[in-house]
Amino acid sequence: MNSSFLTLEFCVIALGIVLMLADFFVLPERKKYLAYLGIAVLTGLLAISFTGDGICSVFGTAFHGSFIEDPLALFFKRFFIAAAILVLFLAAEFSDRIIAGISEYYSLIVFALAGMLFAASADDFAMLFVSIELITITFYVLVSFQKNRLVSLEAAIKYLILGALSSAFMVFGIALIWGTTGKLNFGELAQVSSQFLDNKLFLTGVLFVLVGLGFKIAAFPFQIWAPDVYQGAPTPTTAFLAVGSKAAGFVLLLRVLFIAVPQVTQQWTCLLITMSGITILYGNLCALPQRNLKRLMGYSSISHAGYLLLGIVALAGSAGKSTDGGAAILYYLAGYLFTVMAGFSVIALVARHLADEDISSLAGLNQRSPFLAATMTIAMVSLAGIPPLAGFFGKFLLLKSVIAQGALTGHHAYYWLAFVALAGVVISIYYYFGIVRAIYWSKEAADLSPIQLSGGAKFSIALSLAGIFWLGLFPNTMLNLANEAAKVLGN
Amino acid sequence: MHVGLEHFLTVSFLLFALGLLGVIIRRNLIVMYMSLELMLNAANLALVSFSRFNDKLDGQVLVFFIITVAAAEVAVGLALIVALYRKRQTAHVEDLNSMKL
Repeated sequence: MNSSFLTLEFCVIALGIVLMLADFFVLPERKKYLAYLGIAVLTGLLAISFTGDGICSVFGTAFHGSFIEDPLALFFKRFFIAAAILVLFLAAEFSDRIIAGISEYYSLIVFALAGMLFAASADDFAMLFVSIELITITFYVLVSFQKNRLVSLEAAIKYLILGALSSAFMVFGIALIWGTTGKLNFGELAQVSSQFLDNKLFLTGVLFVLVGLGFKIAAFPFQIWAPDVYQGAPTPTTAFLAVGSKAAGFVLLLRVLFIAVPQVTQQWTCLLITMSGITILYGNLCALPQRNLKRLMGYSSISHAGYLLLGIVALAGSAGKSTDGGAAILYYLAGYLFTVMAGFSVIALVARHLADEDISSLAGLNQRSPFLAATMTIAMVSLAGIPPLAGFFGKFLLLKSVIAQGALTGHHAYYWLAFVALAGVVISIYYYFGIVRAIYWSKEAADLSPIQLSGGAKFSIALSLAGIFWLGLFPNTMLNLANEAAKVLGN
Repeated sequence: MHVGLEHFLTVSFLLFALGLLGVIIRRNLIVMYMSLELMLNAANLALVSFSRFNDKLDGQVLVFFIITVAAAEVAVGLALIVALYRKRQTAHVEDLNSMKL
């Protein structure tokens, strides 16, 4: 066994423990700045993942094949660390609204990150289960962290009950898959899964595992929790939930569907097409009447899960011959990371002294802080998918992969799905521009006092904006990384 | 009467269905949480019986992981329910209604 594959994970867990213990030694008024210690260490790890010779450039497996280091895992690890860095910046800004235990809040973010890193490398069902539970249980606490607000507790209870329900389904599914095939490892399962294509117990097991993963990515019909939890949770938690937890769901979904049971996935292409189409329409239509910004982002994140499923549909249809769909998913997630972090940073800073995050709180933002107003506008335009920003190119790649699959196989279902996705984009423009309108053209601005930004806030928002423009204008570097990572999913 | 794998699996499916039914129809958070634990244990029973009848030990190892994770989940879950009770003086799902459209 080669434990050097786990360097990143060990460092992240050690960082979490240090942040937790630092609570005893750091003066209360300085605890806020522990976030910058976390950011420094994680930035170092991100740099090591690109430059460190022999640490992240060697691929292989550990723990009897339950842990795998490959380009796909590496791509997602970089993604998760970048997400955690931006979330820690946001958490430092948010620290005055968390009454007690800010250093625990930081360390729980870091522990959730450790779960995500393990999820990126999971190569058997035991690792899948443990890593997904590490993420979910940490998030129960993170969601409930504003204990003085009732909505935060309510959101945590809803997430707890539905999360535990989905993990019960997943565990039962794993039991059925293992019972019928005798394999837990994804690679070994792939070699025998074609013999079990008419075994009802096995197929039920795969379906139950998909229920558990569908819950993580908030796809229809497992999306019920998303709006309430997004609204009630502290804003940094919401941002991490939208980016990290969803991406962890997708990396596991990719591995299960295309490495463990590729033949079953091919049979179920129709199911995936339906799921993707309904998720897109549900998310976008329900977002239309929303007045709470975080609830609106919750519905918008459901619709983005639907767009990401387009890539999974394209991969399922191509049966491993083309991995364009997978590359499109990775590219889209990268763009989504920067866009969502920019959006939630603005929401957290604007609603600093308010009880809830109503759209009307954005009124007059262009006078209070032109920088935040421009950031929110760019984030919304990118989420809506308008060129030349990151969101446009990601959606273009996803649609292209689905239409290419339609042209190759001649099935109308792919064209219909592409049509539904385009309709979803058009609907989404309405509510994203509702936010932009509230910033620039609302009359009843009650509070026009300028918003003071700290250096950390300015820096992290500038990073997110740079990411949005970089991915939109110079897509080649990220596209090469995504293509290389997605090759793992082909045959 | 010979007791085989199918009998154990039937019991496990029944336990799972009972747990699911409990989560759907009961309205007290603690009872719902107990039903969820029943569902997890249904999966444990299935794993252990598959393990016994297929002569493989992976499943039993997985059961240890599941028991450990379930314990962590209960610790966090009960703490949350207690925190909610202190704030709202209730443990019923109908009262979780402060977030609407």
